[in-house]
Amino acid sequence: MSATFYEAGYEHHVEIIHQRDGESRRRLHSLEVTLYDEGGALLGAPRVDPVQDVLDLGALVRDTTGATERIMVVLDARYAESIFPYRPHHYAYLHRAGSPAAPLYYAINAVLGGVPDRVGATNINNFETYVFRRGPFAQRYSLLLGCLSRFVPVQAQVFTYYGSRRVIREITLEPKCHTEVSLAAEHEGEPLARVEVKALFRLLSYVVGRRADTDDLVLFDHLFTYAK
Amino acid sequence: MRQLGGVARPATYYLPWITRPGLDCTLVLSNVEARFKPEWSRGPFPVAVVQYDADGRAAQRYQVTLQDSTDTVEVPLAHAPGGCGFATVSGERLHSDLYVTLSNGHDYTATHGRHEFVEAYPLAARALLAVGGAAASIIGRTLPVFRRNQYVYLGRESRSHVLLMNLSNVTNRIRVAAHAADRRLRSTVLRLPPMGSRLLDVASFGQEPAAGMVAWRLELEGNAWFNLYLVGAGSRDLAGPLSLMHVK
Repeated sequence: MSATFYEAGYEHHVEIIHQRDGESRRRLHSLEVTLYDEGGALLGAPRVDPVQDVLDLGALVRDTTGATERIMVVLDARYAESIFPYRPHHYAYLHRAGSPAAPLYYAINAVLGGVPDRVGATNINNFETYVFRRGPFAQRYSLLLGCLSRFVPVQAQVFTYYGSRRVIREITLEPKCHTEVSLAAEHEGEPLARVEVKALFRLLSYVVGRRADTDDLVLFDHLFTYAK
Repeated sequence: MRQLGGVARPATYYLPWITRPGLDCTLVLSNVEARFKPEWSRGPFPVAVVQYDADGRAAQRYQVTLQDSTDTVEVPLAHAPGGCGFATVSGERLHSDLYVTLSNGHDYTATHGRHEFVEAYPLAARALLAVGGAAASIIGRTLPVFRRNQYVYLGRESRSHVLLMNLSNVTNRIRVAAHAADRRLRSTVLRLPPMGSRLLDVASFGQEPAAGMVAWRLELEGNAWFNLYLVGAGSRDLAGPLSLMHVK
């Protein structure tokens, strides 16, 4: 499966098939979309036409939930197995309506729930890292984390590094819950240098940067995953 | 087939760059990955950066040293002819987690580079591609050796331009054909010099909508290896804040 977060006020377009190849590979066999609030409650499972190229996620969420808070969006997409044995890797375009900020384009996280033996992922990769510029910049950083497990809560550790200092936070996410973990831009006079996420189960994770004055997203990216 | 033709593909890490007045472009280099390989995790790690301009010339060279596997070095890139291009980064076992950032001094956007390869064609192959490519371009075509597809977006408030990078030592004629959902738009053939780059304006393919946003599909074909990044622009287009964004 793939998953992302939708926040109200953003144009958010998801490429159902990120690159449109030959005729036989251009259409999905199925696409199921489910929407969850921060507490893990299912807000809807709207029907989506799998034949379209680009899904207007903002319109879909507005029409389904009317929610104004952050929504976790889970995409379960498949090609016809005889044509393409693996699942598509979605990309998305993101821009806040009315903002002068640049739009962002990002790879949507692939998370557990897929078919690892067919996508070549034989290890559970659960160690991720991201490096920041020193700044100072007038922006706030955070991690958006989501749990796609079906039955059990997931514990994760978030490590932030400031010079030689390390700050550790423990996070527990119940199934289908999600949260924003703010990352202080500075600690004891040292700027934020790096963040790492360790978990026993692959979490949905994005690094986020927001302008301090307007809250516009200026970073929305995946972390780098390393096998531990 | 390419090996038979003598084409070499040295592994190369590259990142795109773009400069504009008031916008700084800075690389963020580290070797965090070395932490997970204890036998290689001790620094220092010397790193060499070559910044190629839009014409494919090595406009700037930078040498930096990462003291250890947790060290991070920022390398501000100079303005170079054409205002865009790509930079190669080389260092022992440096494969991932390198970023390019764009900042107006207030905040910054970032994306990562690619550890892939560049293509080095021998003289005979270069001559053949030059003749074949020139002939094909007369009828608005190229030799379609490599092909990519990419969506681009155009609206009044934001858009995504395309930074095309010729990752080879031959002239690369890249044909770009744009398609809307229900019709074909226009196509063009761009001639990129060896290791050269070109910023392709998405608005050159059609009118922006009066409201909302359109997504178009670009079909790109080149006679040698190439790649692309999207350049995100807001309402002030290339004069305002920008983002560089990797694609698949």
